[in-house]
Amino acid sequence: MDIIGQFPLFYFPEYGSAWMMGITGTIHILASHTSVGAAMLFAFLAYKAYKENRTDLYPYMKKYGMFLLIFSYVIGSITGPGIWYTATAASPRGISALIHNFVWVWATEWVFFVYEVIGVFALVYFINKIDKKTHLKLTFTFALASVGTLALIIGIISFMMWPGTEAYYTTGSASDAFFGTNTFPHMFLRIGFMIMMSGVIGLVISSAMRKENEALSNELSRKMGFVSMLGGFVTMFFFMWYMGTLPDNAHAVFNITKDSIIQNRIILAILFSLYFLVAIVKPKLINVPVASAMIAVILIAGLWPGEKLRESMRKPYVAGQYIYSNQIISRDVPGKGIKSELPIIAEKGLLQVNPFVPENLKVITPGNKLEAGKLLARMSCSNCHSLETTGKFRPLKDRLAGMDKEAIKSILYAIGAGGMSYMPSLQLPEHEYDALAEYLASQKY
Amino acid sequence: MDASVLLALRDPAGIPFYPVVFQALYILTWALHAAFVLLALGSMGLSLYGTFKQKDDQRWKILTPHLIQTGKLSVSLLIVLGVAPLLFTQVIYDPNWYTTNALSGMWIFIFIYALVVGYMMFYWFYYANKAQDGGGKLIGMISFAILVFAGILMHNFAVTSIMPNEWMNMYAPNGVVDNSGWTFNIDIIRLAFMVSLSLPVVGIFLQNYSRFVSTREDFSKDLIDYTAWLGTRIASIGLLISAVLFVLWMYTIGYLMHPVIIATIVGVLVLLFMVLTNKNSYITTGVLVVVALLISGVRELTRYDLMMGLGYNIYDYPVNFEIPSITMFLLTFLIMGGVGVAYLLTMAWKVGKSQGIFDGSKDKAVNTLGNYTLGIMSLWMVVFFGWGMTILFGNIL
Repeated sequence: MDIIGQFPLFYFPEYGSAWMMGITGTIHILASHTSVGAAMLFAFLAYKAYKENRTDLYPYMKKYGMFLLIFSYVIGSITGPGIWYTATAASPRGISALIHNFVWVWATEWVFFVYEVIGVFALVYFINKIDKKTHLKLTFTFALASVGTLALIIGIISFMMWPGTEAYYTTGSASDAFFGTNTFPHMFLRIGFMIMMSGVIGLVISSAMRKENEALSNELSRKMGFVSMLGGFVTMFFFMWYMGTLPDNAHAVFNITKDSIIQNRIILAILFSLYFLVAIVKPKLINVPVASAMIAVILIAGLWPGEKLRESMRKPYVAGQYIYSNQIISRDVPGKGIKSELPIIAEKGLLQVNPFVPENLKVITPGNKLEAGKLLARMSCSNCHSLETTGKFRPLKDRLAGMDKEAIKSILYAIGAGGMSYMPSLQLPEHEYDALAEYLASQKY
Repeated sequence: MDASVLLALRDPAGIPFYPVVFQALYILTWALHAAFVLLALGSMGLSLYGTFKQKDDQRWKILTPHLIQTGKLSVSLLIVLGVAPLLFTQVIYDPNWYTTNALSGMWIFIFIYALVVGYMMFYWFYYANKAQDGGGKLIGMISFAILVFAGILMHNFAVTSIMPNEWMNMYAPNGVVDNSGWTFNIDIIRLAFMVSLSLPVVGIFLQNYSRFVSTREDFSKDLIDYTAWLGTRIASIGLLISAVLFVLWMYTIGYLMHPVIIATIVGVLVLLFMVLTNKNSYITTGVLVVVALLISGVRELTRYDLMMGLGYNIYDYPVNFEIPSITMFLLTFLIMGGVGVAYLLTMAWKVGKSQGIFDGSKDKAVNTLGNYTLGIMSLWMVVFFGWGMTILFGNIL
């Protein structure tokens, strides 16, 4: 029986299903990066408080900790598995590839995660209940556990972009997959961002303390300004290195919108440098609304487009440069005994090899052609493009506007022949090309 | 569902170790996860009851915020502990897991945000109740309802995943493909049994609470006696309800006379005896853990048998051994996890037993465990970077 391991397809109208993962991912990144950054900041503050006998720093840490518990650990710990959940709905084979390559890495991360979650409650609730030295030790272990979670997830998400060398394909080893060329620059890029975020969140807390203790509020705001500035610099530095470790297809996508991305990043860099400078020089000017608004700016103008870009730059793949976004295995991985599914699809067609295509659509007839074309469009295009004439997420209406069936077909042929590096080289039998093109043309984009 | 389809849905990368190890880890970690789900459910529910009593009853005035705090902490723990069984189930039962999630894609999305909203509202309830005795009732109830709803959604995923023969009908009823992700299935008896377990769990928790605070001078004897009595009452009634529902569930699926089921029923009866006598609730908790493992085993047994009947045997899953990463996991889990969690729990225990500030630096156990945890974590980082650099240099130079 010629079938491939494709799952049922979940499609969210107008947007597609990938955006659900994107939203959850963006929220998670804000929360999780804040939590790791704050863990490092906590260690620094606890050390300072212990060494210099600064008891006034503990209430700040307690407030920060409560904020962290609610913001980072409620949102972060739910959206973390949440990305995983939404990804399994939107991209089951992509996430399956990650799980089956890295299950022990993930399980190791879970051990750190357990320590982190119990640790954060201990850190916050025991602040007035244990001696300072024990609390300091706790903050150090908490910071190490938090960085441990980053160290363990970073190789997995770096592998999503690409393994970096050919070694993985030959050996199938998780070590070769995990420690790719972009793993370490990616890790330090994120550490920089985490440090910056710890300062940005810290400014909300320090400015909220102004009424109670203005001198301390100003001192801490200044410190947070320095911390954020340092984090921002580390982020920028490693971003440059990171970009140099990406594959050609990533650069091909990046180059399409390069100018506007660079412009956006320059504006953000200037804006935030000024913000941090104000925090250092005139901390009084920073108040809770301003500090909160800057978090929103990071989320909307920094993280959301950044995550969209990272996802786009992976195209046409979803993981390891061997699974396309449309859930088709595109190359052999001898080290794991994985075979490309492209030849069998080119020969038999997607409708024949997908076990979840109902019998009445397995064979294309004049009576079911449009329905079969619609299903083919969903199976091969909808992970990246919304299909409706009113679609919102990378809509086909913008790409196929005004085209007739033959024009669309010629684009499909070009894509199938590998003519666009960021599109999957998916060749279909002629009758499926025809049904797909007829359906897309019938939409009159 | 045809066996060839189920087998084709397995990941072509194979699995990195013996399937039985993933199965055992699944049973173990699901039991841990479920324990905190049930404690969260029971303590949150009881804390809501407490909000109606705490204004006039001195015992509930103290107990209610402690139950809220227990619920709050339990939700965090159930989330973190829930990650592990999710991980292990999709290694060996990936056809079930991914098909279910795609069929219920919308519910998946709703589940995540229901949890976020429900849990944040529980914090709101915590603060409202802290500010005023009896405060936050409405918020607490809404939060509780949302979190219970999230639990029902999780039940839907579990039930759908063991209905492979129905998947095609769910996805393409009458040949018309439905990509909407609104598949929802429920098994009332199974759900009622799972929910009923929250009663014995919170009951035994109350017995433990009573025992734990009995050494503290700042807790009245009245409260200590009352919580022990209440715990015994809730746990014993709860165990009877759970036992009836369990027998009913097993009877409907034809498993009543299976040795594992009989062992579970015996375990429940032993638990009932221990709860009623309440000689040492800490030992009762140990037996509860064994019963939880048995229940987790029962779930897995029924799934395994069902899939075997369809021609899908997890023990035949192709294995591609992955030694370095399992070594990392085992060492981290056993050494760092063991020492680190022991450090935190020992500290928490001693803080809870102390009045005033606990000086951990003078406590040998806490101090030693803390030093070891710090040392092991630092060494872990060194090994991680050393390993990474060795691999990377080997591949690029």
